[in-house]
Amino acid sequence: MTDWARTWHLLPYFLSVLWSGTIMTVIVTVGGFVASILLGVLFAALRTGSSRLLNALAHAYVEIFRAVPVLTQLFIIYFGLGAIGIRLSPIPAAVIGFGLNGGAYLTEVFRAGIDAVNKGQTEAALSIGMTKLMALGYIVLPQAIRIVLPSIANFAIGLLKDTSLASAVAAPELSFNAHMLVDETFLSTQIYLLVAGFYLAMSLPLSAVVRMLERRARRSQRA
Amino acid sequence: MSAHFLGLLGDWMPQLLVAAGQTLKMAALAYALGAMLGFVIALGELFGGRWIFWLCRVYVEFIRATPTLTQLFLIYFGLPAIGVVLPGFWAAVIALGAHYAAYMAEVYRSGISAVDRGQHEAAQAIGMTRAQTMLHIILPQAVRVILPPMTNFGISLLKDTSVASLIAAPELMMRANDLTSEYYMPMQLYLVTGVMYFVMSYPLSTGMRYLERRAGRSRPVLLEPI
Repeated sequence: MTDWARTWHLLPYFLSVLWSGTIMTVIVTVGGFVASILLGVLFAALRTGSSRLLNALAHAYVEIFRAVPVLTQLFIIYFGLGAIGIRLSPIPAAVIGFGLNGGAYLTEVFRAGIDAVNKGQTEAALSIGMTKLMALGYIVLPQAIRIVLPSIANFAIGLLKDTSLASAVAAPELSFNAHMLVDETFLSTQIYLLVAGFYLAMSLPLSAVVRMLERRARRSQRA
Repeated sequence: MSAHFLGLLGDWMPQLLVAAGQTLKMAALAYALGAMLGFVIALGELFGGRWIFWLCRVYVEFIRATPTLTQLFLIYFGLPAIGVVLPGFWAAVIALGAHYAAYMAEVYRSGISAVDRGQHEAAQAIGMTRAQTMLHIILPQAVRVILPPMTNFGISLLKDTSVASLIAAPELMMRANDLTSEYYMPMQLYLVTGVMYFVMSYPLSTGMRYLERRAGRSRPVLLEPI
């Protein structure tokens, strides 16, 4: 049997294994995305806030996590923490790793968004007696998020693809399941092409959403 | 820091520094490949016929929609099936170069399209050929748009070379993995490795921001390709 014939024969098996990996990929992506957003908003608030110390801390966080490869960060969290007694399962480790890494990128995104909101908005909110936190939460952030939405959607696509690195810490997601199948059958070309198809099917719709958001942002800018 | 750890650091550093050199070499070669291939793709999209245009589009979309890791595995594990066996280092250079070419093509294309149409027309009106127009009129103006994202790519490419450790290509992350299996001190080793990546990429990004500030353009946040 040729490799392609074997692939055809084994296709249902491949698809079911890759499908279960896809579900894990989605879980890691969504988990990492939510963590990134939360950290991004938190550190952006510190970056734009009045405390010098917190500002410096947030700045250090951003610079450090952006200057080190996410793979290294994943290894520190999974293997490094494991060796000093903090044993995390692969999936939580991946979510934490991608969350910390993505949070640093989104901090800068949110900060740019907050800076882009007119200063008068904050002043008006403070003048009607809102606290700084209220002004940020109710007035500035809702407007900032509209501005940075395309960047965030772009980030989500990047994150989806980056989760493939979680296979290196044995998280049973799409790429990891693919390695298992390759180890089992040696059909590397066929399996990795299938995997590419799975990622394409997930990220192409997402990038269509990004384009739509970008068009809308441009239109509202002109208005 | 204990004396013990400092002693180990003395054992590790020579190896890690050599590996960091390999990382820089891999990044530089992949960057050069990406910059050239990306330019060809951009020209194909802008000036090629319909078929070449679509070929380039499909390439760019495919590359941007799939992980670097999958592309790397296709080249390293997939190509031997059709008789092309590459050493890990070169497989990584080709995979990263081909990956970044797609992103760079988009940057070149938007930079070239950003130059006013009148510039083309004026160049033609004084009798310049298309190649002359490109070289002397369009590209010098497009560089302003192209340069900041291209510097960004250099920084993220440097970090992305770490992925090559997953096909056992010789570079920094791979050496850290090797040392970890030898000493079983992952926390110390990966932290040291992280610091080394930081030392390589932080000056680059600081320098880039300085250049951007000097160019006097506050640009909207630019997400690095991931």
